[in-house]
Amino acid sequence: MSLTLGGQDFFLEENKFKQDCVEFIKFSQQMGDNWQWKNIKDSTDGYMTKTHFQLKGESVSSNRGEIVNDEVTFAHVEEGLDDFQAAGISATSEVIRYEYHVLYSCSYQAPVLYFRACFLDGRPLTLDEIWKGVPECYKERLWQGPWDTITQQEHPLLGQPFFVLHPCRTNQFMSSVLSSSHKQNRSTNYIISWLSIVGPVVGLNLPLGYAKAVAEQSSSAD
Amino acid sequence: MTDDKDVLRDVWFGRIPTCFTLYQDEITEREAEPYYLLLPRISYLTLVTDKVRKHFQKVMKQEDIGEIWFENEGTPLKWHHPIGLLFDLHASNTALPWNITVHFKNFPEKDLLHCPSKDVIEAHFMACIKEADALKHKSQVINEMQKKDHKQLWMGLQNDKFDQFWAINRKLMEYPPEENGFRYIPFRIYQVREDGKQRSCLLYLILTCETR
Repeated sequence: MSLTLGGQDFFLEENKFKQDCVEFIKFSQQMGDNWQWKNIKDSTDGYMTKTHFQLKGESVSSNRGEIVNDEVTFAHVEEGLDDFQAAGISATSEVIRYEYHVLYSCSYQAPVLYFRACFLDGRPLTLDEIWKGVPECYKERLWQGPWDTITQQEHPLLGQPFFVLHPCRTNQFMSSVLSSSHKQNRSTNYIISWLSIVGPVVGLNLPLGYAKAVAEQSSSAD
Repeated sequence: MTDDKDVLRDVWFGRIPTCFTLYQDEITEREAEPYYLLLPRISYLTLVTDKVRKHFQKVMKQEDIGEIWFENEGTPLKWHHPIGLLFDLHASNTALPWNITVHFKNFPEKDLLHCPSKDVIEAHFMACIKEADALKHKSQVINEMQKKDHKQLWMGLQNDKFDQFWAINRKLMEYPPEENGFRYIPFRIYQVREDGKQRSCLLYLILTCETR
């Protein structure tokens, strides 16, 4: 059974991945969204990363507006507990530190979203706790094959345990996304389209500003 | 494929004599005797050590038993790597049997993946098979297989059934005659760095030589 939707699966070349990451980070800096690129020492490999604090129990689906506000509020206190306490957050066990990494997979020729999460005392969240944070609207579908979606795996560059959203279906859904924007002659950034689809499953919401930034850039280029 | 059957069998039935010892700081009610096992090289530590776990838990109190993990001379052993690989990386220069220390406390969160059930090992194994097939056949073979074929592959490994495993794995190792080979040959290199940490990288080779 081949699940291609009206054509070939789309495979992202590594160079294009890096280009789109550079553009994504540029937009991110304009918006103060704090994504950055990190290189691995003595290697040409690297990844795109962002750290983000979130209050436990905040439902991503129902409080979307607030979360966006929280991201802005927390943006300047991302390094360190002292700042965090200064920001008036007292219940430290209720704050979760999310660290997101976007890596390129040569095997799947697609980006992969890795992440880890811990409380402020350093205790990492378990896979069960991660699943509890997945918005209800995604759960039912994901549970049809929970082991194919979020699992704990070794970070390919750091060698440490991370959670990962499995990339084996990425090329299928991205093909349909990209072909429809191609038909409408809209310019896209692969990373923005992809991350806005997979991110919300694990608490990562992309501000709308990214889509606007791409649109503005393409209209000024015309 | 048939020509290789003897080699495949030898690889499949490779065993490492191993002595499991409980970590000295674990709290026991009686002395914990070491436990000896022949470990299959191609399997996973947490898949074949039920007996080891039960053996040590017999002399321990319930409240002292956390998630089991294994260590080789100070290095936590990554269960998600095949046993033979762990041995070759960390212990190939030492005398047999291979000495592995067993822990039930202080799980090294920064080094090891959790393994709460066999489902987790199965998911990891299938993810490896899928990644390899993405390189070999653009995932076509693994995606065309049915769920029960995936299950048979896994059960073959879990129950050490060579024929059961290879009846399915054969399909993953084939290619259409007009294609002269796999798209890429998946190939992973592991090394232990000077700081004792281990790294791996995935290479993929393009098959350029003609098949005989």
